[in-house]
Amino acid sequence: MPADPLEIRGLTVAYGEVTALADVDLNVAPGEVLALLGPSGSGKSTLLHTVAGFHPPRTGEVWLNGRCVSCATSSVPPERRELAMVFQNYALWPHLTALDTVSYPARRRGEKRAHARAQAQRILERLNIGHLAERHPAELSGGEQQRVGLARALAREASLYLFDEPTAHLDTHVRGVFLEELVTRQRDTGAAAVYAAHDAEESLGLADRVALLAAGRVIQVGTPQQVYDEPVSQLAAQLTGPSSVLTTTDGGELLVRPEWARLGGDRSARIGDVFFRGPHSDYLLDTTQGRVLLREPGPPRQRRGDEVTWSLRHSWPLRVRPGSGSDAEQRCRTGVKVPVVDDPHVPHGVGT
Amino acid sequence: MALAAITVVLVPLFVLARTVWVEGGADLVEILTSAGLVTAVRNTFVLAVAVTVLAVPLGTLIALALRRPDLPGRSFWRVAVLLPVLVPDFVLGYSWLRAYGRAGFTDDVFGLHWLGVQGALGVTVVVTVNAVPLVYLITAVGLAARAEPAMERAARVSGAGVLTVLRTITLPLIRPATATAAVLVFVLTLGTFAIPQVMGSPAGFTTISTRIYSNLARSSDPLAFVEAVTLALLLVVIAVIVVAPADALLGPRLRVRRVASTDPSSASGGRTASRWTVLAGIAGYCLLAVGLPLLALLATAVTKAVGLPPTPPNWTLDNFTLIITSRSAEALTRSLGLAACAASILVLLGGLVAALERRRSGRSVATLVTLTLVLPGSTLALGMIIAYGRWIGGTLTIILLAYIAKLWAVAHRPISGALDRLPPDELHASRISGAGPLTTIRTVVLRPLAPALLAAWLVCFLTALHEVTMSSLLYGPGSETLAVVVLNSAELGQVGATSALSVVITLVLLVPALAFWFVIRRLNRAPNHGTAVTSTDRAPELAHAG
Repeated sequence: MPADPLEIRGLTVAYGEVTALADVDLNVAPGEVLALLGPSGSGKSTLLHTVAGFHPPRTGEVWLNGRCVSCATSSVPPERRELAMVFQNYALWPHLTALDTVSYPARRRGEKRAHARAQAQRILERLNIGHLAERHPAELSGGEQQRVGLARALAREASLYLFDEPTAHLDTHVRGVFLEELVTRQRDTGAAAVYAAHDAEESLGLADRVALLAAGRVIQVGTPQQVYDEPVSQLAAQLTGPSSVLTTTDGGELLVRPEWARLGGDRSARIGDVFFRGPHSDYLLDTTQGRVLLREPGPPRQRRGDEVTWSLRHSWPLRVRPGSGSDAEQRCRTGVKVPVVDDPHVPHGVGT
Repeated sequence: MALAAITVVLVPLFVLARTVWVEGGADLVEILTSAGLVTAVRNTFVLAVAVTVLAVPLGTLIALALRRPDLPGRSFWRVAVLLPVLVPDFVLGYSWLRAYGRAGFTDDVFGLHWLGVQGALGVTVVVTVNAVPLVYLITAVGLAARAEPAMERAARVSGAGVLTVLRTITLPLIRPATATAAVLVFVLTLGTFAIPQVMGSPAGFTTISTRIYSNLARSSDPLAFVEAVTLALLLVVIAVIVVAPADALLGPRLRVRRVASTDPSSASGGRTASRWTVLAGIAGYCLLAVGLPLLALLATAVTKAVGLPPTPPNWTLDNFTLIITSRSAEALTRSLGLAACAASILVLLGGLVAALERRRSGRSVATLVTLTLVLPGSTLALGMIIAYGRWIGGTLTIILLAYIAKLWAVAHRPISGALDRLPPDELHASRISGAGPLTTIRTVVLRPLAPALLAAWLVCFLTALHEVTMSSLLYGPGSETLAVVVLNSAELGQVGATSALSVVITLVLLVPALAFWFVIRRLNRAPNHGTAVTSTDRAPELAHAG
């Protein structure tokens, strides 16, 4: 079995007194996309920059394809780690044209100028920006700039891609198109990738696995479905999407995703607020157990202040550790009557 | 505003040209081909080229080295390399003579002295040392503004090594800054006077500025006067010939860009082994170029006589009691008052031009003001004498006028830069909230501008305090500045007194400089310019949770 493209062992990174990453263990399998999801300041960028070799770790090891690039005794400089990276603020060089920028990695491999440029032109064509080859960054829009950034990363022909919030500075409509492009190209190469993002939809939609990061620690790793349906804490739940927490009579806490609740049923509530969201509408219900966010397809059918009934199709106990008994037992212990749900959850992820 | 600019800049230039035309007449060819003049022009040109070639790489190297975040004592060295800016240039030149010249420090202690120190070589080296901080400042700003760490990281991750990144990314990115520094160093070296006067003249090395000075000293000779005026104009011509194409070439690229980050930190730590080499290089440079000379100066000031080793038994304060005369005390008061006056007027004028510049009508004044940057002090002073000498010659007023003309651009630049960094929306927000234009300036413009205004005031004050090129041509009985007193003392060969005076004037400069520096730093650190919260802080939509 080949070694993983990336393996991180007990990584701790500090800036002076401030610990940016604490004891992080992560690995990325060949061809896998790992999303790093966390609020800003949680250490996502630090993790990527440490893997790339821009920050020396305080302790811990970074292995790339079975080679230790950052160990106690030795550190491989960034240019010899053979990684590709797309940066948050594009990091395009203002004095180079798009073509020169994209041919830069090939030139550094020692290829002839003409050959490198021809190669770069092909990559630009593939990303539908071949006509922009002679432009400088200042003459490109944000989306075009980031495509050039992606093209430069592709030109590196690496086995691991690092994406440092590449869509953070893009307009919403450009973001979707760029993301699609990025995922397609990355799949074409068959390379593994680490994708840092603070947007839950984005990371859940494109990743094979998600690592939740908060205050420099990995709080949960799992498939997108796992981290969405079974978050280990309220913080993990908040990072992965909208949610509400119900307090049970004995003081337990239940996590409810908006689509796990439905209007109509055996519970009563008052509509606290209604938000029209396009494909669906969000209702904020005032219940005896707390506020519940509930999502129904279509335009709003109720108004603020209306008395309504509702039901809970599914919930996830936050206070009780999963694995200490069956789900049904746990739910009984929380004292809330919940209909047992066996049907698959409402699909979630990109586009809901 | 335009009138003020015309009075202090255009009129003096015009009268210079007229004087050459009217009084030079038939003698002009003879003057232009005289051996003395040709030598002075050639020396000046070669000196300017040599200093530019030496100072630009050196200053850039220091800026790159001081960017390393892992450099031990980085903030200390950042201040230390700026020291030559605070030390008056004639003091620097004189202290080099005391350190490395005949009967200097190394001669006394090790029996070593370099003959070249007094003469062309010494002048070149010390003018270079004096110019390096300027190059460092400009390239450091360029590095902070253009060479963001991500730029270099992107290159590293693309497979480029440290030196390749430097060659293909960092240096091309800061090329506009380097070019600006080169042009400025060249032009300032053309007009430099004090160092060639102190170190070169005794060895017979003349430049245009020193020749103008010695020609004016022989004021009885009308031909010498015309030659001085011709030389003054030649200085401007050479400066313009160099600057005009450079400005046309670089102009569009030098236009203001918003500074991306103020901390010019290097992208990556690099090998830890080399940081001690870098440290040794910077420390060695500071020690040899500034530290040792200043120590030698201090040693001379407290030693009984030249030639005695600077050891405690030979220490004395006689040199200091010698210079505490009513004449030097008056000169000191005069200098301080003049400098404070000039700085205050200049900040006001600089601020006005910076504000006017934003409108179409004010732009020509701003251009004119920027041009004064390349106007050599000797030229300005001569113009002032011919234009206004009849009425106010030899008074403090004419010196003040000359300071204003010379330093206007110095005051204008930082204020204009700070205004550029002020987001227009902040002003719009104030106006839309109900504030009038004046209230807007008072409430939202002045505070973010305060560091720049203070910095402009400080730079003008310090420069005026150690200005000697123009003061030495313009002063009369009762209007000597302290710098002129020191220069005259050096020319009379009073080693002990000159050293003591130099120590005094350096302290007079250092104390307010350091005090203000701390104030400006504190102002800059104030929270109102903290990093703005970016869009990355957008929290996931979790607000509904209980």
